[in-house]
Amino acid sequence: MNAQNELAIDVAGLTKSFGRAKALDGLDLAVASGQVHGFLGPNGSGKTTTIRILLGLLRADGGTVRMLGGDPWRDAVALHRRLAYVPGDVNLWPNITGGEVIDLLGRMRGGLDRARRDELLERFDLDPRKKARTYSKGNRQKVALVAALASDAELLLLDEPTSGLDPLMEAQFQQCIHQVKREGRTVLLSSHILAEVEALCDRVSIIRLGRTVESGTLGELRHLTRTSIAVETARPLAGIDALPGVHDLVLEDHHARFDVDTAELDTVVQRLAPLGVRSLTSTPPTLEEMFLRHYGDEETSGAKATAS
Amino acid sequence: MTGAGGLLRFMLRRERFALPWWLLGATLLILVQSTQSQGLYDSAEDLANLRQTIGGNTAAVAMSGPTHLLENIGGEVVFEIFAFASIVIALMNMFLVGRHTRADEETGRAELVRSARVGRDATLAAALALAGLADLAVGLLAFAAAAGTGLPAAGSALFGAALAAVGMVFAALTAVAMQVFESARAGYGAVALALGAAFALRAAGDTGNAAFSWASPIGWGQRTFPYVDDRWWPLAVPVAVAALLGAVAMALLGRRDFAAGLVQPRPGRATATAALGSPLGLAWRLQRAALAGWAAGLFLLGVAYGSIGDSIEQYVEDNPQVAEVLPGGAADIVDSYLSFTVVTLALITAAYAVVTALRARGEETSGRTEPVLATATSRAGWLASHLSVAVLGSAVVLAAAGFGEGLAYGLTVSDAGQVPRLVGVALGYLPAVLLVAAVAVLGIGLLPRAAAAVAWVVVAYCAVIALFADSFDVPEWMRRGSPFAHTPLAPLDPLTATPLVVLAVIAVALAAGGYAGLRRRDLGY
Repeated sequence: MNAQNELAIDVAGLTKSFGRAKALDGLDLAVASGQVHGFLGPNGSGKTTTIRILLGLLRADGGTVRMLGGDPWRDAVALHRRLAYVPGDVNLWPNITGGEVIDLLGRMRGGLDRARRDELLERFDLDPRKKARTYSKGNRQKVALVAALASDAELLLLDEPTSGLDPLMEAQFQQCIHQVKREGRTVLLSSHILAEVEALCDRVSIIRLGRTVESGTLGELRHLTRTSIAVETARPLAGIDALPGVHDLVLEDHHARFDVDTAELDTVVQRLAPLGVRSLTSTPPTLEEMFLRHYGDEETSGAKATAS
Repeated sequence: MTGAGGLLRFMLRRERFALPWWLLGATLLILVQSTQSQGLYDSAEDLANLRQTIGGNTAAVAMSGPTHLLENIGGEVVFEIFAFASIVIALMNMFLVGRHTRADEETGRAELVRSARVGRDATLAAALALAGLADLAVGLLAFAAAAGTGLPAAGSALFGAALAAVGMVFAALTAVAMQVFESARAGYGAVALALGAAFALRAAGDTGNAAFSWASPIGWGQRTFPYVDDRWWPLAVPVAVAALLGAVAMALLGRRDFAAGLVQPRPGRATATAALGSPLGLAWRLQRAALAGWAAGLFLLGVAYGSIGDSIEQYVEDNPQVAEVLPGGAADIVDSYLSFTVVTLALITAAYAVVTALRARGEETSGRTEPVLATATSRAGWLASHLSVAVLGSAVVLAAAGFGEGLAYGLTVSDAGQVPRLVGVALGYLPAVLLVAAVAVLGIGLLPRAAAAVAWVVVAYCAVIALFADSFDVPEWMRRGSPFAHTPLAPLDPLTATPLVVLAVIAVALAAGGYAGLRRRDLGY
């Protein structure tokens, strides 16, 4: 049935409340099979709640949820054979070694590849003979990562899997995800590390207050934001402020600095050309700026941009 | 030592719920024993009879103390309760010191504290001071309980001081163990072993060569002979030993790194055994140590009860008037005693069953259920794996208790048939025990946050009904509410199948209700 369904995860209008607190408020999420999908949002925006609903641990209040062609609540056990999960906060049994936990989780999922397990232990430099109580946060995360990556699950649900890893391990993780992608498997990656998202993800969904605010490729998202322009012209710059999409203009006769909606960039550049451009620098929006705009309150982030 | 005073106040605050319960428990032990003994042996004649019957019973002496204590009624109270109260107080001291030193180091909480303007040795000093204050309270409360129930004040003061001294030895011993081992768990294991050895040594000393008792902290306390000889000088030994061990702990602390021990923990297995490959394997792995501990504990308690069964018979033969007030008369006195003690053992097993069933909820709230249920494990399979431990574990614990009681009683009356008989009687309580555990399961499914409170209220209710219903004239309908009241009082009454089957059916229905609730609800909340 997966062949007919191009989407590994298809969530529409998902709602979930805990008492009076609304955790999810009409969330949409579409993850195509074989893609690495970034799942971004500030703390408390509902990423973990969404993943727990996908795992059938929480029951959705409203909306539709399909995963791998099944219903995550009803078909939980059957679906779990086909996925692997790394929680954001890895809690392990203090008296059981990391190696035992990896084997246990693998067997309960339906078997794991021993050669790949040993290779991953080497790669992540993890001692499997230590009791879980002695592991640091990063090492506990490695245990969960090795258990997930050593499986041949077709879908990986990763909830901030690298928040405790050092840069060296981060690089190993990225290599592993590239490998997973080459094998045609699907990954939902919740993360705060923007460089990681940029390096790994085909598409990105940004959520805020339990609702999806933006979804698309990184290129598409960039298109929706502003580019900073600094320009010097031979003739005085007049009428720039009247152009559509121009913001935060600082004008001094022949010099101007402003931000422009990337969609309007072409129009603006065409209006500048006849004025005799002497120099022009264009800075594409950084990921940070992009996410800050979506994470934070729209108005405050606009005010900050003016101030800087 | 900088900051030790502030840390001590903080520790007292952290202990404000747990410590009063320990103190209350220890006080109640003495209070109940003193009242009971003074009621049972109210004349010099009764005591003389007791000296004869108990004095000749090696098993009873091994479980209690030196027979020299049986000279007067105060001594008799010390004889019966001192060793047992020592165990409770030693455990209290062990957990007090362990919790605030190594356990905090393991979780990393101590790191925050040590980064502040606090001396390296302040935490240990404050923990030992905390244990000292607790032991002081033990001494005062023991004195108040003994003197308050009419025992001589001088002997009561020594009784309290001896208990406090035993407590301090184990506090200081724990302080050393916490420096040696990297995990609090390993340290607790070592101290518990030492406590077992202390009990065994004094048992050997009281039944044979008294020299053994002088190697045991419990023996040092007992051999002050409160009320009988009232000699204070033996307490110099525990005081000196506690001071020495405390100094050793401080010296070791100064020589080790934070979070390190003197003994490197052995590396564990790099791969899981075949047994650890399913939720069932995991549940048993997590709970096997606890099961072994409970089974061993109830076996020993069974031995303690069984060992004095024969003495009860002799005592009643010498004092026929006692038989008149007991149900069943002289002929059934032993069976009546055995029935009553087996109910007590079964009630403790119910506590084990509740702890075991609630472990499922503990796994859930600590976030460790999430990775398990993210695999191809159903909620039913996960719950059932924990319940399998509760069901089979309860059967094992009951059988161990019955085996201990049957073995000890059988040995004293030279009748091997007592072993299967009492194992059978104990297992008769399995449906009642499981019904209590099933209430916990129902709670986990329907009212997860209240599950523990509900289950413990049921345990307490059953205990009150079983132990005090006769003394307090409890109305019949209240009595009928306890599953233990529906289990035939074997071996006094014959064991019949019908009530057991009914109890089992109710237990299954409650557990099924709990499962139905679990299937519908969110997990982890």
